Amino acid sequence: MDDLSGLGLSRRQLLVAAGAGSAAMASAAMALPRASVPRWDMQVDVIVAGSGAAGTCAAIEAKLAGASVLVLESLAIPGGSSSLSGGVIYAGGGTSLQRALKVEDSPEAMFNFLTRVGSPNPPREKIQLYCDQSPAHFDWLVAQGIPYTEKLTTAKGLPMGDESLYYSGTELAWPARELAAPAPRGHVPGVKGMNGGRTMMEALFGRLKKLGVELKTSVSSEQLIVESDGRVSGVVVSQAGERKYLGARLGVVLACGGFIHNRPMLEQYAPHLSRCSTPWGGAGDLGQGINMGIGVGAAALRMNEGFAVAPIYPPENTISGILVNRAGQRFISEDSYHAVIGHSIAYEQQGSAWLITDQASSYSSPQDNFPLVAESSSIGGIAEQLDMPRGGLQNTVAYYNRYAGKAQDPLFSKSKTYLRPIQGPPYKAWDISVDRAFFPAHTLGGLATTVDGEVISSFGELIPGLYAAGRNTAGIATAPYIASGLSVGDASFFGRRAGKAVAGSQ
Amino acid sequence: MRWSISPLIIVFLCLPAVADELQSRLALADKDRGRVVFGPCRTCHYPDALMGHNSGPNLSEIFGKVAGKQAGFAYYSARFKQAEFVWTPQLMFTWLENPMAMFPDSAMMSLGVPDPQDRADMIAFLMQATVPD
Repeated sequence: MDDLSGLGLSRRQLLVAAGAGSAAMASAAMALPRASVPRWDMQVDVIVAGSGAAGTCAAIEAKLAGASVLVLESLAIPGGSSSLSGGVIYAGGGTSLQRALKVEDSPEAMFNFLTRVGSPNPPREKIQLYCDQSPAHFDWLVAQGIPYTEKLTTAKGLPMGDESLYYSGTELAWPARELAAPAPRGHVPGVKGMNGGRTMMEALFGRLKKLGVELKTSVSSEQLIVESDGRVSGVVVSQAGERKYLGARLGVVLACGGFIHNRPMLEQYAPHLSRCSTPWGGAGDLGQGINMGIGVGAAALRMNEGFAVAPIYPPENTISGILVNRAGQRFISEDSYHAVIGHSIAYEQQGSAWLITDQASSYSSPQDNFPLVAESSSIGGIAEQLDMPRGGLQNTVAYYNRYAGKAQDPLFSKSKTYLRPIQGPPYKAWDISVDRAFFPAHTLGGLATTVDGEVISSFGELIPGLYAAGRNTAGIATAPYIASGLSVGDASFFGRRAGKAVAGSQ
Repeated sequence: MRWSISPLIIVFLCLPAVADELQSRLALADKDRGRVVFGPCRTCHYPDALMGHNSGPNLSEIFGKVAGKQAGFAYYSARFKQAEFVWTPQLMFTWLENPMAMFPDSAMMSLGVPDPQDRADMIAFLMQATVPD
């Protein structure tokens, strides 16, 4: 067999790969020229493709601005990934809930956190606006009917109780706590369990209904329709196997989510995420909206970025263990937010890591997120079972213990709350590798947009009539993902702005 | 609407053959692989009773239960509320190949597990993980 492209792939393998790619796409997302549109099956002012937080918030604002709005959802059930999420909104700078609970915060502290702790060259303009208007945005969410309780918890992780405010990110871990004044900014609907997203979306759907916005399910957006001057003026959709042409007089808002379930796209754009065991998102996260945007010349940014989560807590006693890489070395403070840990494992440690625990830091009740892969009465025994370089893990533990006994962590400044020597067998190693552990991942890359959701082309120009929001875009959430609530927060905030902008763009 | 009843009938007619296939695949099943395959399901469904319901209903002791009837879970689709069938490994094996094709109006919007051995591995895991300790 001939070897094509120097990749060691046979012609047959390439054909199979290409076939897999086309099967995952609903259709070629290339735009359709207006001249090829046989008729308008329906015309409204604004079409919103996607019914998650971004789409519904865009639709609400466009309707309030006086536009006629149609929301399209490809699946039978609306809500997208937002409805499966915890429903956390990252908000701060003195929200009404923070003030009611006597929490001190400022837009500056929030801005510092979002610009200094995460990725290089973050989208500053969007972050600035997001921080400045965060208290007002939270009030708007309350006004839509999302229920919040005046309760705060300091426990790590999404509250299982009905508390509505918590430290949802890596604010208290080093180095974040030295870069920005920490504050609890995770605002989550006040319902028990981890279904805040469902509660949030129920409220937003209720609002859509009250406003008389039509939401059509089982209608998938396939292609954008483009006028001869480049303006986007409609969408080709597929409904029960039939092709329909829907016109949008003012514009189209793409809010179709990310692409975590499109395997070929994931392997192509985000290879680190493609190795994670658990694609986490609604079944509609197939990248269709991103490809439709690219089809009309949009730039796509940060397509390799995403959040990858290693949920080693709760319980919190495990944080007193240590995380090590293949060389038996620590690489992060174990009290970091679990998506910061996940990012480091997926992107910086070649996908492999283990949590080493002693008797007190071991998982005490059965759990099958992280398989137990070594158990021994000595650290050397653990190293041997994990096939680590001779002496590496012993050195790591000896050095860690020497300082942990004095409540110090010279390497990663782990919080004193969790800092104590690893001592007391049995020692255990839990596999926290991307492909063995429960390791949820979601994409963060998408179309380039202005702060008003206008889609930007690869040449830096606006594409008239085209708007986008949520994970269909590259927003304020970048990798590493430093706090829960940034993605849905971004989707709701910039979804609203896109809705206002499209309705006012006549 | 013409598919509103027939898929389930077809499934039941096919179950003996499915049972054969599942049985032969379960004989080769790797529960630990199944645990990993179950990951995306776990984001909505807990296999053990302790954690209760999540976005989807709890799966503890799921095999042998009538579908759509668990106490404390208020989010079943109309079809599952009215369902009278019992969850068996065979039915689960068939359904999870493409859930949205079999029950398009189910609240479970999942792309399924198309590979049959992956599904068998996962069912082997579930048969163990959903049984109380």
